[in-house]
Amino acid sequence: MPPLRVFLWPLTLLHLLTVALAANTETFNERLSLNSLQDGKVAAKFTFTTLLKDGKPRDPRLLEREDESQHFTIFPLALGQILRQYGVTELHLNLNAGKWNYDVWGSPEEKGVGTGGELWAWLADGANTSIDERWKGLRNALAGLFCASLGSLDELRTTIPSRAFSPEGSLPHWDLPHHIRHGSLPSENVCTENLTPFLKLLPCKSLSGIASLLNPHRLFDADWHGMGVHVLWREDEGIEVRLTFQSVFDPLRFSNGRIQDWSLKSLFNRQVERACPVAESSEILVGLPHAIYSIKPEPSSIRHKSAVFDVNTLEKPLDVSLHWRNPFQYPLVYATPSTPISIRRTLTGSSQAWGQLSVAVTNNREDPLSIIYLETMPWLVQFFLHTLETRIDGALVDNVISNLTYTLPIPHSRPTTLQMLLTLPPKKTVYLTMEVTKAFLRYTEHPPDAERGWDLPPAIFTPVRFDNDTVVPLSDERMYSSVLLADLATPDFSMPYNVIMFTCSLIAFVFGTIHNALTRKLVVVPLTDDKAKENEKNTEGS
Amino acid sequence: MEHKQPSLLTRLKHKIRGSGDVNTKRVQRRLALKRTLTDKLPKIIFCLFATGYLWMLLIPFPHLGRTTYIDENALQPSQVNTYWDWADVHIADQYLGLLEQIRDGNYTSKERAEWLNMEFLKLGLTSSTQSYTFLSPVTGVNGTNAYAILPSARHSGTEAMVISASWLSRVDEGAGTVNIRGVSFVIALARFLKRYSYWAKDIIFVVSDGYLDGMQAWLGAYHGIQQKGLEREPLQHSSGVIWTALNIDYPGHSFSNLGIFFEGINGRLPNQDLINSLERIARYTAGVPVTLYDHIDPRENSLVNVEYAWVPRFLYSNPIIKAYIIRARNILRQLKYQATGRGSGVHGLFHQHRIDAITIFGLPAQGPHGFHAIGKTVESTLRTMNNLLERLHASFFFYIMAERGWFLKIGHYLPSAILISVAMMFQGLRKWVDAGWIEVDGTEKSDPSRVWVRRTRPVLPVLAIMILTHMSGLVLFVSLSSTWLSTNTYWLAYPFLVLFAAGIYVLFSKQTFARPNEAPLSLTLKALNLCFASTVISIIAVLNFSLSASLAIILGIPLSVSSSKGSTLSRLVRYLTYTYLSIGWRLHAPALAKQLLWNWHVLGVWLAPFVCIVYVPIVMQAGISCIID
Repeated sequence: MPPLRVFLWPLTLLHLLTVALAANTETFNERLSLNSLQDGKVAAKFTFTTLLKDGKPRDPRLLEREDESQHFTIFPLALGQILRQYGVTELHLNLNAGKWNYDVWGSPEEKGVGTGGELWAWLADGANTSIDERWKGLRNALAGLFCASLGSLDELRTTIPSRAFSPEGSLPHWDLPHHIRHGSLPSENVCTENLTPFLKLLPCKSLSGIASLLNPHRLFDADWHGMGVHVLWREDEGIEVRLTFQSVFDPLRFSNGRIQDWSLKSLFNRQVERACPVAESSEILVGLPHAIYSIKPEPSSIRHKSAVFDVNTLEKPLDVSLHWRNPFQYPLVYATPSTPISIRRTLTGSSQAWGQLSVAVTNNREDPLSIIYLETMPWLVQFFLHTLETRIDGALVDNVISNLTYTLPIPHSRPTTLQMLLTLPPKKTVYLTMEVTKAFLRYTEHPPDAERGWDLPPAIFTPVRFDNDTVVPLSDERMYSSVLLADLATPDFSMPYNVIMFTCSLIAFVFGTIHNALTRKLVVVPLTDDKAKENEKNTEGS
Repeated sequence: MEHKQPSLLTRLKHKIRGSGDVNTKRVQRRLALKRTLTDKLPKIIFCLFATGYLWMLLIPFPHLGRTTYIDENALQPSQVNTYWDWADVHIADQYLGLLEQIRDGNYTSKERAEWLNMEFLKLGLTSSTQSYTFLSPVTGVNGTNAYAILPSARHSGTEAMVISASWLSRVDEGAGTVNIRGVSFVIALARFLKRYSYWAKDIIFVVSDGYLDGMQAWLGAYHGIQQKGLEREPLQHSSGVIWTALNIDYPGHSFSNLGIFFEGINGRLPNQDLINSLERIARYTAGVPVTLYDHIDPRENSLVNVEYAWVPRFLYSNPIIKAYIIRARNILRQLKYQATGRGSGVHGLFHQHRIDAITIFGLPAQGPHGFHAIGKTVESTLRTMNNLLERLHASFFFYIMAERGWFLKIGHYLPSAILISVAMMFQGLRKWVDAGWIEVDGTEKSDPSRVWVRRTRPVLPVLAIMILTHMSGLVLFVSLSSTWLSTNTYWLAYPFLVLFAAGIYVLFSKQTFARPNEAPLSLTLKALNLCFASTVISIIAVLNFSLSASLAIILGIPLSVSSSKGSTLSRLVRYLTYTYLSIGWRLHAPALAKQLLWNWHVLGVWLAPFVCIVYVPIVMQAGISCIID
């Protein structure tokens, strides 16, 4: 149809013009870093950063009014709308599967590695709607956007751990108090249905650039994987959206622990076929090992012991590969963990009514360390705080814990928040133990599906720095403990349940009869006519 | 007014119930029933005893029970392709060669565990060792366990499965045969399982030292259970909640059958689905015949007929009697393991922590099966356990395995012990009533016949005697447990000499107790003793059927026939017989007492305190009721 075609060209030109204009206000950078770990595994981290220059979070006082129009080209619109709708200043969402092994793998590049889902946001007060209502709306919107069950991060799971977290970006000077809302959902797993909406937020989807390596078949077969969405405001730059995907691959799995070599092709079963045209920078960083190796192709540059490959300029298809000359051997002694502390947390006791929470924290450094220990526990598991004991080398010590804040749980609604400052002596392991009781649930509170137990969220350990006697949490160095599974008393909603009911009824019946027979004596008293009349009179009289 | 004909239903009612006052009739009916029951009580008691004992004899009968089946749909046994192949068998053989050097090189426990730890580390597993010492008054043991954890990919590590092998095999109850192929298989399996990423639960490999002691120390540390007399290192690594465990016992060169051992400490049993899954997997995936314990079925292997040579041929040739004998052998074995409370192997220690566990025992033979078959079986069983979405709960926890693929559920065997206990209760109640009444000559002239009058029962003195016997049982237990007395066993009859003397004292000082119009002490004591014994049997029946059945057999008739009639000499003889029944095991099997105490101190088997504090006093009470009036 000729008339349409006439319009098509000018429209395309207009579109290109807006893209060019947008390039000034929105930038997109992508990066993939690949590092070989001590145990032969490979940590991969994708980072996609979009910066909305001079953007500002929405002032909550203006939430009632109609929002000014927003024109995003690269910035993900679906996410931007949610942020503006609920006036969110800063947002972090992590969905992870697996247990991050800090002692062997070291500190992850992206810190939020707690098992399952974790969402926290900073919101300013001052709107007509309360923060909790906005938080509820936010998590439901995100649940819809990412196909995750974040909707179940309800008041049973939401905590306000203000001491353990600090905002990663800056907070606007609105003279309004900012508050944090935090929730973790340890049983939530990340899978393909979460990756697809994640890819939709990228300007090039998974069609070109580094994002084309995000092959779900390989990512979700990795030993550990997790995605993250981080939105924050930097005062002099604008709003930054950082989408991350981390995974830990095991190239040794296929060679019975002998060959450590990997390439993009072997890890992702894909190569970079073409560059993403809107990416301002697009680079692959490969951490260079301390052994004899060869790397192909020739890197564009070397930066901080990492080979840098510029995807935009290098010849395509691009496949980076790293080859070791000697066969791999598992180290018999692992190097001292690079993380400041090592954590082991367990819930001991095989009873369904009580147990003991024990946490062992080892200071790996030569200097004393101060960390904030945060425990957010659903009300199902309740602490006996008076039984909290700390031991070093088997001896009770009382100078480890200071500055403890405790928000009691409310049965059937609010979770526990326990925050304490721990002072760890150098090169020592501190054992914290505390008795816990496990709740007895109402029978409608049991989930209808298979009952494997209740997942309890990870504890979070945040190193702190002292700034003029105020404790400043270094959120960027926080560490997560493993998650736990609590066995609560569970009725077996099947045959034995009926059997118990039948048996109890029978016993009640038999008991009644026997008790009657033993305690009551029944005799037949034959009444003569006189006596009967007398009796009648008596009853009438009385 | 028209007179209405009564309806058909009303007429029918009248015909059945007869006419007259309904309430009177009901009371009369009840009285008649009571009278019949009371009159026929001795017959009823006899019938109950007879039925109970007969039922027990009928438990191995081949027509009782049913075939086993998989109840939990998620298990899907024998539905996966297995990848364990001859290359892995070769690896296991190499580990075997190394372990043989270790066994013959007189390594200490610690060196051995350290070597195992290194092998696990070379495979890239998280691994460590744990030393422990049991300070038992009987015989202390120490050793070092080695364990490794294979973290499952992409999983939070909140759930785990255990593959274990004790250093000493179960052959002759851990007498010293090294479970050498079992241990080498566990290492080879660890190497093999690491290749796959489909594990939904962490897999923990434990090579425990000794026979039972090593695993007891490891499990206690894993679950944070404090145990008196145990010094152990804390575990360096831990994983999640353990749901299922397989213990591998493969001491011989090859095996002909895989034997399943399942009884746990204090008579606990694992969920039957685990046994049934393994049985099906071994049969269909690996093609290995499975059997209960180390009993090979003579109907499958004619060489085993030798073991049944004591049965007269004409009986043995009858298929029903043959099946009866084979099943009776299996059931007696289960009875032995459950009643002693020690369990049948290392797996039994898991049950106290709500972990379903069994032992797979390669019956030593010249062939034809080896690492290949056991590898396929264990791999596939692990896949089945991996499928579990919740704890095993669907199938049976109370059962008697009569033979492979055949079991009796609780309703088929529990009534036998309960009937005997009911008979004892009736007998006791009868004696209670007897104690409350006495027949005297009629005082009224109009009624010269004999009449029943009430008399009081001396309940308090009787209770005092009972409490005294239980206290002396406690003294016996403490004296057995104490180090000094167990080395000087000579003194152990001491509390019973005291008790004996006390009994004699009561016998000769009856005047102080006997008040006019009061029932004899002996009768009241017998009544309460029978009721108490019956209650104990019924309660134990649901916890540990085998123990309860043994008690029913030992106590049922003997307690019912105690009496204080006869000459002083015959009463003394009866008293001594009861004393022998209660404490005679001390004289005949001093080693048994030692074993029971070790089980109590190290494993927490409560048979020793139960015998001392409950069983011995109950029998002694019957004895005392013979010598007092």
